[in-house]
Amino acid sequence: MSNQLSNNLDSSLRTSIDRSVSNPVMFFFTSGAAWLAVAVLLGILTSVKSHWPSFLEGCGALNTGRAYIAHLNVLIYGWAFQAAFGTIVWLMARLCRKPSEKSGVILMAGHLWNLGVSIGIIGILLGKGTGVPWMEFPVATWVIFLICYVLIAVWSFIQFRVREGGHVYVSQWYLLSAIFLFPWIYGTANIFIFVFDGHPVMTSAIAAWYKSAVVLLFFIPIAIASAYYIAPKVTGRPVYSYNLAIFGFWSLMAVGPWAGMQKLMGAPLPPLLGYLGAGAAILFFIPAITVGLNILMTVRSNGERAKQSPSLRFTAAGIIALVTMGIFGIFLNLPSVLQGVQFSMSGYGYEMLALYGVFTMCMFGAIYFIVPRITMREWLSIRFIKMHFNLSVYGIIAIVIGSILGGYLQGNAQQAWDEPWMNAATSTYAWNVFNSFAWFFILISNLFFCLHLLLMWMRLGRRSNHPTLLIEKHGDSPHGLEGKIQTT
Amino acid sequence: MSFKNFILGLIATFGLPWLLLIVVPFAKMRNIEPVFFDETKDGLTGVYTPERAGRIANGSEVYGANGCYVCHSQVIRPTYAGSEIWRDDWAGQKKDADDKDTRRISNVWDYNGEPIAHIGLTRVGPDLSNAGYRLEKKAAQFGMTAEEYVYTRLLTPRSFVGNHWSTCPSQPQLFSKPDAYAQEKAYIVKSDEGEKGKEKSYVPGKSAKALASYLLSLKKDDPIPDSMNYRRVKTAAN
Repeated sequence: MSNQLSNNLDSSLRTSIDRSVSNPVMFFFTSGAAWLAVAVLLGILTSVKSHWPSFLEGCGALNTGRAYIAHLNVLIYGWAFQAAFGTIVWLMARLCRKPSEKSGVILMAGHLWNLGVSIGIIGILLGKGTGVPWMEFPVATWVIFLICYVLIAVWSFIQFRVREGGHVYVSQWYLLSAIFLFPWIYGTANIFIFVFDGHPVMTSAIAAWYKSAVVLLFFIPIAIASAYYIAPKVTGRPVYSYNLAIFGFWSLMAVGPWAGMQKLMGAPLPPLLGYLGAGAAILFFIPAITVGLNILMTVRSNGERAKQSPSLRFTAAGIIALVTMGIFGIFLNLPSVLQGVQFSMSGYGYEMLALYGVFTMCMFGAIYFIVPRITMREWLSIRFIKMHFNLSVYGIIAIVIGSILGGYLQGNAQQAWDEPWMNAATSTYAWNVFNSFAWFFILISNLFFCLHLLLMWMRLGRRSNHPTLLIEKHGDSPHGLEGKIQTT
Repeated sequence: MSFKNFILGLIATFGLPWLLLIVVPFAKMRNIEPVFFDETKDGLTGVYTPERAGRIANGSEVYGANGCYVCHSQVIRPTYAGSEIWRDDWAGQKKDADDKDTRRISNVWDYNGEPIAHIGLTRVGPDLSNAGYRLEKKAAQFGMTAEEYVYTRLLTPRSFVGNHWSTCPSQPQLFSKPDAYAQEKAYIVKSDEGEKGKEKSYVPGKSAKALASYLLSLKKDDPIPDSMNYRRVKTAAN
């Protein structure tokens, strides 16, 4: 009887938490998905232009350079950050068992963030970009982003401090470290680049470090936090190894901040900085494989669920991408390979593997898990989810193979200094065509996703207490026949 | 582990690389000691000051805003990091007017006056460290002034013989249609569909002028003191 009572209390607490954050979280996911669509369209555009340069040539605002910059910045600040915010806000509230009291502030800051992204993207397309990789938004916007970030994320940090004791989950380590380190990384990068008057080469080095740090210490931790929540939750089994989890976390924190400056190897900087960067980028395989092993073993402990649950399927794909990223990190940063690939398209392939393969796939997993809970509706279509998953996986595998392998061959052609430059310049043609098709797959997959999310946002999801599982028909649910309709 | 120790752990793991990779090198790089020529070895005296003339700060901004650094690098790496120094015309001139080989790696002074050193993300196009020489040479080959060649090249990158394979984007946003009463010189530029024989005239805007001046200033092969020269050529002096 008391068990029944505590279950009811538990369920009502969960519901009140979900309700308290539902507006900001749904806002972050839907506006993030809209920016993702813009980023994918710009990705197709840049990819097509790289092998068909006269495509839309008359439009200066969409020339290859500006479109490429816009593509990456929209993907990062429009989609990736907002997906991360949604996940941070919901996950921290659930894990701390505290409803959010600041949803209004978070929602307002979210709108301001979107305004910042809009100003930034228009600025880039009109030729006001700063020329600093990944920080191309016109200079003043970084202050807006930093303030919005604090207004969005600080409450999750406070929630952790005021929670009523209890177990600290692995996901919370990652969330706390990401929330804590991001303002340090972002503030450092922007202040040292745009405020202090430094040496131009050092400015460039800090920009390269920022790219790496924001991926390894913000996006990857958020993806891992979501995976450490979803894998045990959906399988109903504990995390495979607590010790591996501790080791994976601290090894990432120890290795992550050192990487990045290998992109400036050979530039007039102290050579140590480049070598430290390359070393750390190689050592990233340690946390990547540790975390990957830990989560995939957890998933394997109940493999049947992994096949049925869309959240777990996306998460597992993201974690497999994490392991792949660790392995490619070793290969791409060996001094002999780095000479060639340093200025090749493999850098883009690696970034896409991190941002789409790992982060975005884990965020899709989180969204498929969170949205039904905060909208109190179930996903409408098994087929949409399957299409989204399969096309996303095909697309990202193709982009990663096309860019990393294509970049490796391109780098070799560049290193052949006694051959004419035309050989190196034209060596990427076939790979660029290949990448355009891959982006097209990703576009179609995200059309399914955006449409599905839009329907959920309009509260048109199924009113059922049977989750949408990837099974043959809705009636085949392991929860039995449908019938009981939620009345809330 | 308590919350306090957790945060202290993060501060330690992140703070150390932050100091060693960002703060200390940043401070050091702001105060680089000047390097002096040695009269016996270099035949020159005084402090080494890089020679570069052009609208460097403005041009660098236009270069950045249009994303040129996405496809073009501006760095000649030492041989431990890359082989481009051996290309004929990237690191300098294989044979300059005095029949000297001026090729050298990039140094810290090469980017003076720019807000950020455009090291570059990829080399879809060639390295531009010494693009100034190449552009002048090409301009002479086609019987144009250097500026005229750069403008035409920016607007119609594939219109010149030997460039049909280039994927460089056209930059129409830097140019405008000539005003009938304009004082400025209009450059006649063949449109990309050269076979139709269409010719159009364009006036370079402010940004195009800054960018052209910047591109023509890219001649990073001035003689450097022997003490920092990694490609010492045997001379009678040593």
